[in-house]
Amino acid sequence: MTGRTSLGVDVGSVSTKGVVIDGDGNLLAEAYIATQADPIGAAKQIVASLEKQLGGGVKVESVGVTGSARRLIGAMLGANAVKNEITAHAVGALARHPGVRTILEIGGQDSKIILIKGGVVVDYAMNTLCAAGTGAFLSSQAARMGMRVEEIAQAALRARHPAKIAARCTVFAESDLVHKAQAGHSKDDLMAGLCQAVVANYLSNVGKGKQIRPPIVFQGGVSKNGGVVRAFEEALSAEIHVDSDSHLMGAVGAAVLASKAQTGVSFDFQVSRRPCRTTARECAGCANRCEIVTFFAGQLKIDSWGAKCEKGSA
Amino acid sequence: MTIGLPRALAYHRYGVLWETFFKALGGRVVVSPESDPILIAKGESLADSECCLPVKAYLGHLDRLVGNCDYILAPRFERIGKNDEFCVRFWGLSDLARGTFPGVRILSYNLKSHRPDSEVSGFMKMGKTLGKSQIAVLAAYKKAKQAQLTADTRAGVNQRLLLDSPAIKVLVAAPPYILRDPAMGGTLLRLLAREGVTPIFPEACGRAGCRRASKATSQSLYWVMNKEAIGAIELLRPRVDGVILVSAFPCGTDSLVNELVLRREKRLPVIQIILDGQEGEAGLQTRVECFADILKERRRGYA
Repeated sequence: MTGRTSLGVDVGSVSTKGVVIDGDGNLLAEAYIATQADPIGAAKQIVASLEKQLGGGVKVESVGVTGSARRLIGAMLGANAVKNEITAHAVGALARHPGVRTILEIGGQDSKIILIKGGVVVDYAMNTLCAAGTGAFLSSQAARMGMRVEEIAQAALRARHPAKIAARCTVFAESDLVHKAQAGHSKDDLMAGLCQAVVANYLSNVGKGKQIRPPIVFQGGVSKNGGVVRAFEEALSAEIHVDSDSHLMGAVGAAVLASKAQTGVSFDFQVSRRPCRTTARECAGCANRCEIVTFFAGQLKIDSWGAKCEKGSA
Repeated sequence: MTIGLPRALAYHRYGVLWETFFKALGGRVVVSPESDPILIAKGESLADSECCLPVKAYLGHLDRLVGNCDYILAPRFERIGKNDEFCVRFWGLSDLARGTFPGVRILSYNLKSHRPDSEVSGFMKMGKTLGKSQIAVLAAYKKAKQAQLTADTRAGVNQRLLLDSPAIKVLVAAPPYILRDPAMGGTLLRLLAREGVTPIFPEACGRAGCRRASKATSQSLYWVMNKEAIGAIELLRPRVDGVILVSAFPCGTDSLVNELVLRREKRLPVIQIILDGQEGEAGLQTRVECFADILKERRRGYA
C-alpha cells in the first residue's frame, strides 16, 4: 500500500489516541492520553505531542478521525475521513494482520467483536446497554482494591486458584468480589477471577452466537492487560495475537482510511494552538427539541450537528 | 359526529379501513398528529412503567384525541387466524384506553378470527352505537375493506419497485407501528438514508405470504407481527443485502423471535437495534454506519 502521510486520531470516552503514519503504513509518531471529558483539549495535546515527536519536516496530507467524539474532532482537525470505530478498528487490525478472521476489542466504555472474511468485515456486535466488563469497570475495581490498573495483570498472572466471580453484571461482580475478599481469597486470585469474569461476560454478551475463528487479534486498551489475554486464551483454546500498538489500532485505522481516501487535506499542526469553542442550544423549531452543537474556530463557524431537519442547521 | 383515531399501533395496519368506514357513515375523522418526543413523554407519564414504548406512545396519541372528538376508536385485537395471534398488549388496548381515560366514549370491536365474521359483526355493532342503519353500515364496511385492500396493494407495489433499485437494500424487519412512527423508526430511516441505503419494509411481500414463509424459521411461532417480519426475510433473502431487526424496548415477543433469527440466519448479515426512547442517537449512528460499511464492502468484495 502506498498512500499519503496521514494523521489518525481516535477520541474515545476514556482515552484519546493519535498516530502519524507514512505512505506505507509505518508508525512515525504516536501519542496516548486520557480524554478526561475534554475531547478538544485532548486532541490538541495529542497533535502537539505528535508535532514534537516529528520535529518538523514531515508533511501530513490527510487526517482521519474515529471514536465517539469523531464528529467534533473531525471538524476541528478538518479531517478528510471521519469513520465509526468498528470500521476503523478493522482497518487498523488488517493493516498489521492481513489474515485476521476475528477481532476482539475492549475499550474504556464499549466492547465489540468484528468478524472478517477475505479482508472484509462481514459481521460485528457491540455491547448494547451496559458497560460491564469494559476498561472502566476494571479500573474502578482495581481502584477499590487499592491497585493501579496496570497491576491487575501481574496479580492475575501470579494467581494459582482464580476466584469465581459472577460475570453477568457489574453490580453482581462487585458484590462477589467483596464477598470473596471477605471470605479470605487472595488479591491475586480475585484479580484473576475478575479477568475471567470480563472474558466470560464478553463471550456471552458480545460474542454470543458468533463463530470465533483464528487468527484472533485482541485490541483496545484492555488488551494491554495480560490477565485478560490469558483468560481469553484459556476460554477459546486458541492463540491470541496482541499487537504492541494494540491500544492505538483505532487511530491507525483512521489514518489508513484517510490516507486511502480519494482526496487529502493539507494539515497544519498550528491547529493545536488555535482557539476554538463549541456552543450548545436546544432548537425551538418543533417538538423534537434537537440539541444542536455548533463548532467555532476563532469567530468562524465551522460546523454544526445534532439537528434532525434543516430548521436547526441555520 | 367526530371519531378520533390514535395514529399508533394498529392504525398503521387498519387506518384506511377505519377512516373510510367512519367517513362513509357521514362521520368526521380526526387522526392524532405524528408522534414527537412531547407526545411520547405524555404517554409515558400515563402508562405503567413496564409497558413497551409503542404502548406508551399509543396512550400519548389517545391523550391528544381526548376533548377533540365524540368517540375514540380503541379496538381489541386477539387473532386473525387459528395460529396467528396478536401480542397480548393488543388484547388489552381497549381496556387500557377505558382505564386510562375514564369518562371518554370509546368505540371498540373485537378482532377474533376463529369466528370469521368477527370483524364484520364488530363493525355492525359500532355502526349501531353510532345510530346508523344496518344496510348503511354494511355498505360502509365493504367500501372500507376494499379501500384498505387497495392501499395495501399499492404499498406493496411501491416497496417492490424499490427492490429493483441498484442501491444497497436492507430489509427492516419490524412492525409498521415502529417503522412508520417518526419518533421511533424515523431516526433509523434517516440514518440509513444518510448512508445511501434503501430500506425495504416487510409489506413488500403480502402479509399472509409472510406468515406462511415464517414457518421456515419456526413452525411454532404464533405472533402475527413477528411472523410477518421474519417471513419477509425468507421471501426477500435473494433480493436484499442485509437485515435490520428493530425492536422497541421492552418487547417480549421480539426478545424471543429476534434472538431466534440472529442464531438461525446464516446467509445475510443481520443486526438488531433496540429503540428505547432514550435521547441520544450516537450509539445508533455507529451501528448503522458500520452495518452500511459492511454491506458496501460485501458488494465490493463478492460482486
